[in-house]
Amino acid sequence: MKNNLTSIAALAALAVTAHAGTAAADCTLPVGVVYPTSVDWGKPIAETTLWVADMINEAGGVDGCRVNAILRDTQVDPRVGVDAARALVDLDRVQLLIGAVASGVTIPILTSVAAPSGVMQISCCSSTTRLTEIAAEGGANGLFFRTFATSNVQALVAAMKAQEAGYETITILYKNDDWGQDLGSLAAAAFAGAGIEVKAQIAINDDQPSYRAEVTQALATRPEALYLALYPKEGIAVVREWISLGGTTEFIGTNSLKSDEFREAVGMQHLGNFIGTDSSTPRTGSATAFVDAYTAHFNAPPSGPGLPNAFDAAAISLLAYHAAGRDATGAQIAAKVPMVTDPAGEPIDGDVAGFARAMELLSAGQPVSYQGGTGAVTFDQYGDVSAPAVFWNFGADGAITEIQYITLEEVAAFGASIE
Amino acid sequence: MIGMISYLAFFSTMAAIFAIAVLGLNLHWGYTGLFNGGVVAFFGAGAYGTMILGGRADATVLGGFGLPFLVALAGGVVLAGMLAWIVGLLTVRLRHDYLAISTFGVAIAFESLTRNAEWLTGGARGLRGFPRPFEAAVGNNFVYGLLFLAFVLLVLVLVYIGLERLVRSPFGRALRAIREDETAARSLGKNPTRLRLTSFVIGSMIMGVAGGLYVSFYAFVSPQDLAPILTFQIWAMLIVGGAGNNRGAILGAFLIWAAWTASGFLLARHAPVAMQIYTGSIQYILIGSVIVGMLLWRPQGLLPERLETSAGPDRTRPAGTNTTATTNKGVT
Repeated sequence: MKNNLTSIAALAALAVTAHAGTAAADCTLPVGVVYPTSVDWGKPIAETTLWVADMINEAGGVDGCRVNAILRDTQVDPRVGVDAARALVDLDRVQLLIGAVASGVTIPILTSVAAPSGVMQISCCSSTTRLTEIAAEGGANGLFFRTFATSNVQALVAAMKAQEAGYETITILYKNDDWGQDLGSLAAAAFAGAGIEVKAQIAINDDQPSYRAEVTQALATRPEALYLALYPKEGIAVVREWISLGGTTEFIGTNSLKSDEFREAVGMQHLGNFIGTDSSTPRTGSATAFVDAYTAHFNAPPSGPGLPNAFDAAAISLLAYHAAGRDATGAQIAAKVPMVTDPAGEPIDGDVAGFARAMELLSAGQPVSYQGGTGAVTFDQYGDVSAPAVFWNFGADGAITEIQYITLEEVAAFGASIE
Repeated sequence: MIGMISYLAFFSTMAAIFAIAVLGLNLHWGYTGLFNGGVVAFFGAGAYGTMILGGRADATVLGGFGLPFLVALAGGVVLAGMLAWIVGLLTVRLRHDYLAISTFGVAIAFESLTRNAEWLTGGARGLRGFPRPFEAAVGNNFVYGLLFLAFVLLVLVLVYIGLERLVRSPFGRALRAIREDETAARSLGKNPTRLRLTSFVIGSMIMGVAGGLYVSFYAFVSPQDLAPILTFQIWAMLIVGGAGNNRGAILGAFLIWAAWTASGFLLARHAPVAMQIYTGSIQYILIGSVIVGMLLWRPQGLLPERLETSAGPDRTRPAGTNTTATTNKGVT
C-alpha cells in the first residue's frame, strides 16, 4: 500500500514536471518589479508590467527561461521602496529592477541599491531632471533608463505654440511638486528663449480650499496668456477662480489636464482657446495597437498615467535581458538596450508575435527597433528618452482632439533655435 | 549566502537608524512625557543639515560644501538642536495633545520649507549625490555595507549608553518627576520649564543623528522622505517596544521594521498571483492590526519601564500601578 502511494506520488510529480516543461522553460529568471501597488494609480502600472512578463513568457521567455516577475510595493515611501529593491537584489538575486514611479523613490533606489550593486534599473514614470544630472555626473554607471520623456519636450512645444500665437507675455502656474517645479522652470526658460516675457511663476500647492491668493497674484501681472502645469484637481479650482475674476481664456496646458473631469468642471465655453501639449502620444501604429491590446486584455482602455510607458519599460528591459543572455549582469543587460531600440533595426511590435520575432533576431545578433506604446523609443547617453509632441484641444463636442503632430526632429530644431 | 548577509546588514543598518530616532523619542515621551508629534522635522533637520554641509557642489543650490562626513553630521545634529530649541521655547508650556498638534504643525511646516526653498534644499527635486562616506576607500560594496552597519551600531550603542546614564542621573529622575506630577516637582525646587526644554533639545538632536546617518546611507534626500508616515512608524516602534525603556525602544525599532519589511517580502513571495497587486494594502492592514493589538493587550510595550527603588535591584512595575499616560489608556 505504501509502495503504491509512493509510486502514485512519483507519477504525479513526473506529470507536473512534464507539464511545467511544456508550458514554460526549464529555468526561471527573477526580475524585480517595484511599483506603488497600494496606490490606486500604481496598480494598473504594476498590472501592465506583469502582463508584459506573461507575454514574454508566452513568446518563449528570456533566453529560454521563464521570467518570474516579483512584484513589491513601494507604498510611495522611499524607505519601503529601497528596502524592497535591496531584498530583490540581495535575496532574489535579480539583475534587473523595473521601477519606481515617484522620483523621490526612484532616485534613492538608484543611488543606494542599483548603481552600487551593478543592477540595471528602468523606470516608467519618473520625470525629474535630477535623474539626468545624476547620470551626467556618472552616478548611475549607465545602469539607469526611463521611458518617460523629461518635461523639456512639453516645455519646448509650449513655447513654440506661444510664439506662433504671438503672445508677448505669459504667467506660469505650476503644481508644487517635483514634476511641476521642473516643468515650471523649464517652461520659463523656453518662453524666455522664444522671446516671450514670463511675468510670474506661481506655485500651486495641493489640496487648498481656495487659490484666491495665487490667482489674484497671477491676475495682477496681466499676462496675455496663462501656462498651466497642473493636475486636474487643482487645475479645476484655479481656472474657475481665474475665470470668475475676469482672467484671459488664452491657456496653454500640459498633458496632465487631458481629462474629461477638467473639461466638465471648467466648462467648454471657457476652453475654446485652450491648447494642450503632450509628449507621450505618438503618431504610430504601435501606439494604437497598444491601446487596442490593453483594452482587449483588461476590458477597459488604458486611462491612468504612465501605462504605455510602463509597458515599454518592461518590454525593452526584458528584450535586452534576452539579448544579453540568462547569466547576464545588470551592466551587460544595460549594454544591450541600444540593440533593442536601434532605429536601423527591424521594426518590432509590442505583442507576443512581435516579442517572439524580436527574440529570434536578437539571438542571431541582429538589432531590432522596438515600437511600443510610446512609439519608437530611443535613449540618449543618460538613459533619457526624447519624444515627438502633439498639440491637442477640447474639440467642438468637447472630446480631447489631437490638432497637430510635431516630430522629434521639429522639437529638436526648435530647441536648438531658442538656445 | 552573501546575499542574505548583505540584506541583513542593510536591514540592520536601517533598523539601527530607526532605533536611534526611537531613543530620541523615548527621551521625550518615555522619560519626560513630551508628546512630540513632529519627529520628522528634527530627523529632517539632521538629514538636510548633513546633506547641505557634506553634499556635492550643485550650481542650483546654495549648499554642497563637501565638508568631511563627521563635520557634516555634527552640523546636521546642531541644526536639529537649534530647531528644537526654537520650537521648544515657543511650545514648552504646552502639554500633551496641544504639544502634539503644534509639533505636528512644525513637521508639516518643515516639509513645506524643504519643498519650496529651492535655492537651499533643491525643492521637490531633493538633494542628491551625498558621497557615501569612505566608500571609495573600501571599494567593495558588500564590505562597505558591513562597515557602515558597524559604524551605525557604534553610534546606536553610544547613544544608548549616554541615555542610560542620563536617565539614571538626578537629571533623569527630575525628568520622570515632571512627567508624573509637574506641580510636585516644582514644589521640590525643580524648574520644569528648563528641564523640559533641555530634554526636548537633547532628544531632537538624537533624532538629528538618525537623519544624518539616513542621508549618508541613501545618498539622497527629498521632501518625500519627510512624509508624516515616518513619525507614525517611529511612534509605533516606541509603543510596541515599551515607552520609558531604552532597550524596549531599540527592540521595538527592529521588530516593527522587521514586520514592515518581512510582511512585504512574504506576501510578494507567497500570496497567490491574483492577490499580488493587493499585497501593499494587506500589509497596511497587518501592521495596523499589530499596533492596535499591542495597545489593547499590552499597552506598556514588550519591555515595560523599570522602576529603580532605593530598596534593591530593578523590579518590573506591575502594569496596574503604572501611571504613564499610554498605559492608563489601556488599563482603565
